[in-house]
Amino acid sequence: MYETFEHTADLGLRVRAPDLDRLFAEAAQALFAAIVDDLETVRPTQKIDVSLHGDDLGYLLFDWLNELLYRFDTEHLLFGKFDVRMENQNLHGSAWGEPLDPARHSLAHEVKAITYHGLKVEKEKDGWLAEVIVDI
Amino acid sequence: MKESYQGPLERVSEYCWRIPKSYKQGMRVPGLIFSDERLLEQVKKDQAPDQVANVAFLPGIQYASLAMPDIHWGYGFCIGGVCATDPDEGGVISPGGVGYDINCGVRLIRSNLYYQDVKPHLRQLVEELFRQVPTGVGKSGKYRFDQKELKHLLGEGSSYVIGRGLGTSGDLEYTEAGGHLDGADPDAVSDRAQMRGAEQCGTLGSGNHFLEVQIVDHVFDETAAAAMGLEKDMVCVMIHSGSRGLGYQVCDDGLAMLRKSPENYGISLPDRQLACAPVNSPEGQKYIAAMRAAANFAWCNRQLLMQQAREVFGRVFGRSWQELQMNLVYDVCHNIAKFEEHEVNGKRKRLWVHRKGATRAFPPNHPEIPAAYRKIGQPVIIPGDMGRASWVLAGRQGSMEQTFGTTCHGAGRAMSRTSAVKEAGGRNIAKELEAKGVIARAQSRRGLAEEQPKAYKNVDDVVEVVHKAGLSAKVARMRPIGVIKG
Repeated sequence: MYETFEHTADLGLRVRAPDLDRLFAEAAQALFAAIVDDLETVRPTQKIDVSLHGDDLGYLLFDWLNELLYRFDTEHLLFGKFDVRMENQNLHGSAWGEPLDPARHSLAHEVKAITYHGLKVEKEKDGWLAEVIVDI
Repeated sequence: MKESYQGPLERVSEYCWRIPKSYKQGMRVPGLIFSDERLLEQVKKDQAPDQVANVAFLPGIQYASLAMPDIHWGYGFCIGGVCATDPDEGGVISPGGVGYDINCGVRLIRSNLYYQDVKPHLRQLVEELFRQVPTGVGKSGKYRFDQKELKHLLGEGSSYVIGRGLGTSGDLEYTEAGGHLDGADPDAVSDRAQMRGAEQCGTLGSGNHFLEVQIVDHVFDETAAAAMGLEKDMVCVMIHSGSRGLGYQVCDDGLAMLRKSPENYGISLPDRQLACAPVNSPEGQKYIAAMRAAANFAWCNRQLLMQQAREVFGRVFGRSWQELQMNLVYDVCHNIAKFEEHEVNGKRKRLWVHRKGATRAFPPNHPEIPAAYRKIGQPVIIPGDMGRASWVLAGRQGSMEQTFGTTCHGAGRAMSRTSAVKEAGGRNIAKELEAKGVIARAQSRRGLAEEQPKAYKNVDDVVEVVHKAGLSAKVARMRPIGVIKG
């Protein structure tokens, strides 16, 4: 489950999930929902894999989202479906999507960057919470 | 998340409030916010003043952590913030104090056309600009630079693209710093950053970036306006853009490189986004070299955007841009850190001045101002919202005395993006603007709603404060008639 929250010039993403795997997958979903108007229009025709290592969950979330944003910016790949496995301090993520097609994809925001401001990954009573502010 | 600021704000003068050092343990200097009573009410609605206090933690900071009247909540640094550090006192450089969009800035181009000449062709002009100038997400530019060329561009700035026939030497003279920062090292710019920027030089981007056709609405200072070649009803073009993906990546690389720097250099910071390193450290020097290269890229970007606009005007009006006298009035940066000489407590010092959403405003007779403007002060271009106005100001002596030669940079947001979209509901913003005589074209309807005039403070109020506080003086108010956006 994700929602956006207000941050004056930018956009906050707030994600809740029962476990870390789904938290990271949902966060990626929230990021691309901020980039493209309707995620449903993104077909899963291509897959990329991302492997990351880190001892800080906040930084790991940052790096995961940042890698996806970089792929979008340089290869114009939009993603709509994500799968993440977290093992110890390793993240193995996959993302499915397709090249941007202006005829079918209507874009909502240019996300310039993922920021560290208010970056948060926390254990809650019945699951996990992540918050990240993206620069628009 | 959006809590109002509850800390102290002591009135220093009619246009300045202080956050005392005692507010937070760790503040090295006080915070000073330039504002007036009305704007201040809005400033207090979020945590922007708290961010002014946080910046006062940075090692080597001089005099005060400053904020301009268009201050609003950012990440780490507030937008509208100014911070000067002294490298000889352990002063730091902070990528967050420059921002993701390194050398985001504005340029103004005049012409010999007047409102009456353009009015009958306005729709065609705006449509043609929208077709020719790449805007929005994921758009590549028409100019391609291979890796070797990109390195030259990063090292040399505007003069590189002008050398390829995309502008004139006059353009260089009227660009802040001549469109080139010394000490830029293209090799300090990561491959990732170069990849992100490779296709984006000469593209506008999205968010608050724009290209506008404007007319001079009102002249406040005839002498200064004449020196800038501006007169009432003259048609101008204003361009607001920065270093695109290349700059965002340089900032991102800098912040990642500095993740461990608080521990390594014993710097205690209240926010990870304030990551910094001593200017005189290998990390600090590497970021500075890359940041300068990104600044050079941004100047090339605005130069190419201007060139495309000139070509469109030429085609629409059937005369070359030279015949239309589409000359650059001035180009300013408002996200940058520069090494400048300033006086602190009666002592001349070389300082790293971070301007994050703030514009240099050097007073008359400053050696860095082009000869044509030496007597009137440095031109300052202030973009407003797309419905009301933008401004041309001139730097004043008060900026050297109070703000390290700095003034405001825009209107500043009054509404978050989400609330602006909610507020717009199903309204057609483009239609509303048209009723006011503004033709606006944007890639995204949502973008137009987020950027609607109401989402911003009234830029006239912001300008009033910097004018009265003696930071920069009103020269001319500009009114938009055509807008293209991402």
